[in-house]
Amino acid sequence: MQDLTRRKRFRHLFILLFTILIFALPLVLNNNYYLSVLVIIGIHSIVVIGLCLLMGYAGQISLGHAGFYGLGAYTSGIITSTYHTSPWVAMLVGAIGTGIVAYTIGIPIFKLKEHYLALATLGLGLIIHIIFVEEVALTGGPSGLTRPIPYLSIGGLELSNDFKYYYLVWLITLLAVIIANNVVHSRVGRALRSIHGSEFAARSLGVDIGKFKLRVFTLSAIYASIAGSLYAHYITFISPSPFGLMTSIQFVVMAVVGGLSSIWGPVFGVAGITVLTEALKTVVPQLIPEAGGEYEIVVYGTILVVIMIFLPEGLISGLANLYEGWRHRKGQADENS
Amino acid sequence: MKILEVSKLTKSFGGVTAVNDMNFSVNSGEIIAVIGPNGAGKTTLFNLITCIYPPTSGSILFKQKEIRGLTADQIAHLGISRTFQNLQIFNNMSVLENVMVGRHTKSKTGLLGAIFPLPAVQREEEAIVQSSLEKLALVGLADKALEAASNLPYGEQKMLEIARAVAMEPELLLLDEPAAGLNPTETRDLVEIIYKLRDQGITILLVEHDMETVMEIADRIVVLNFGNKLAEGTPYEIQNNREVIAAYLGEEGLSC
Ligand SMILES: Nc1ncnc2c1ncn2[C@@H]1O[C@H](COP(=O)(O)OP(=O)(O)O)[C@@H](O)[C@H]1O
Ligand SMILES: [Mg+2]
Repeated sequence: MQDLTRRKRFRHLFILLFTILIFALPLVLNNNYYLSVLVIIGIHSIVVIGLCLLMGYAGQISLGHAGFYGLGAYTSGIITSTYHTSPWVAMLVGAIGTGIVAYTIGIPIFKLKEHYLALATLGLGLIIHIIFVEEVALTGGPSGLTRPIPYLSIGGLELSNDFKYYYLVWLITLLAVIIANNVVHSRVGRALRSIHGSEFAARSLGVDIGKFKLRVFTLSAIYASIAGSLYAHYITFISPSPFGLMTSIQFVVMAVVGGLSSIWGPVFGVAGITVLTEALKTVVPQLIPEAGGEYEIVVYGTILVVIMIFLPEGLISGLANLYEGWRHRKGQADENS
Repeated sequence: MKILEVSKLTKSFGGVTAVNDMNFSVNSGEIIAVIGPNGAGKTTLFNLITCIYPPTSGSILFKQKEIRGLTADQIAHLGISRTFQNLQIFNNMSVLENVMVGRHTKSKTGLLGAIFPLPAVQREEEAIVQSSLEKLALVGLADKALEAASNLPYGEQKMLEIARAVAMEPELLLLDEPAAGLNPTETRDLVEIIYKLRDQGITILLVEHDMETVMEIADRIVVLNFGNKLAEGTPYEIQNNREVIAAYLGEEGLSC
């Protein structure tokens, strides 16, 4: 199957090009503000890549991913600041713990009615957030963890500035892309996509739908947890506010903007929304000085609705399809003239 | 040997009894046709055998084992496979990938293997591609392997469903109106494919309206009418059965 290997090579070439771009960017972009935005884009991309696996391939929506993100962040923050364990060990503990939480709440949900996942994760996200706020002894409550969270280090090299952290975060983001890519093009990925194509046929071919959805849900929670750990060791201070419902909604919007069934879409979706959010932060107070933070929800809501109506495959694939359609019509028009 | 035994099988949907107290059995290696007017309960019978929904009462034995209470995916693992009257192609996949899903029960890569594709996983993936291509060749679609399944014409999509269903190497294959919508050439090809599958040892149960095809390939025929089994026998017996003729042609047909 020559064509098949060619397609695979093409995918790998794309990953390689993207890697080069990512790694060259800080060298030309030597500005700390931009670098810090790019680090956050990388961290959020990890969450959204996982969320896209869940939404695009298992057809499920989660409104609680900021909760899993927070579980990773708090586990890392609490363990490293209290017990001075290696941040890597803490990250692993967070990932496993979050995976167990997701798996446990997923079991009854995927056995019962699957569309309850959105509601159940919404509830779970809220509960986790309440725990962050209320368990003052453990989490520091609303004002956050006061004990200092250490920086991550690799073999004695402390990743204490944006430049170094950028490389670590994007290396892990790239790994997240490669793993997601592997999953999508495997027996598991085919099973998931087949569920999307026809549940009847998928089941009649032996695909245990609930099992596969549950596993991909767990994987996406683990992605979010790892991203949360990376966030904690980057900011080195955590409070409950970045892990609430608003962030969960933001992740869903990013996933939808990027396009659900594409592995690269998430990164573009995150970049687009993050840049927009940053821009709004400077523009909105100038235009409407009395505006609170609530304008964000209006903006996200509007984007979500517009994308769903006009570009249901997401911004990137949607625009690509529009372009294809335009080229097709133009070709026909040229033939007719 | 009896591969499938249906006894006292009943399925009601609210007030409608789609399958009523039905008894019949299928021997290993046979081609059995299920015929009957629209709404007779043929598709419902298939859905009961593949555990899409549970029967209201009665039993279904596959290889002497009760399958009541199993789920549709467990039935596949036992070795029963099917196609659908209303095409259920995976439109979001290529032709080849559709058939590769058919290898699901014959492969075992899980999430961990998918994340870390070690050599063993890659070998399994290659084996899946190989056997899927063989099944595509069987139905004459090998050269369309990489096309989007949704781009195939109707007749080829029906062939694709057959390739996908046989990819799991089932012992019992259920075909729900495989010839519907096919042109005469395609119907000939279909008959040849069914014979090949039978020669490979697959037992075939099919629903079909095209009487010429049914009379040619079926070893035995089961006739349904309003959820009841009206008759059962060889094509010759069925063609000369007064009740069947009456059901098909109405009372007029009987009187002349
Ligand atoms: N899921 C269902 N819910 C309610 N009624 C159904 C369902 N499936 C089939 N029926 C009814 O059962 C009867 C038999 O249908 P079906 O098995 O599809 O017939 P056939 O395949 O022989 O044309 C019809 O009256 C149909 O309306
Ligand atoms: Mg039918």
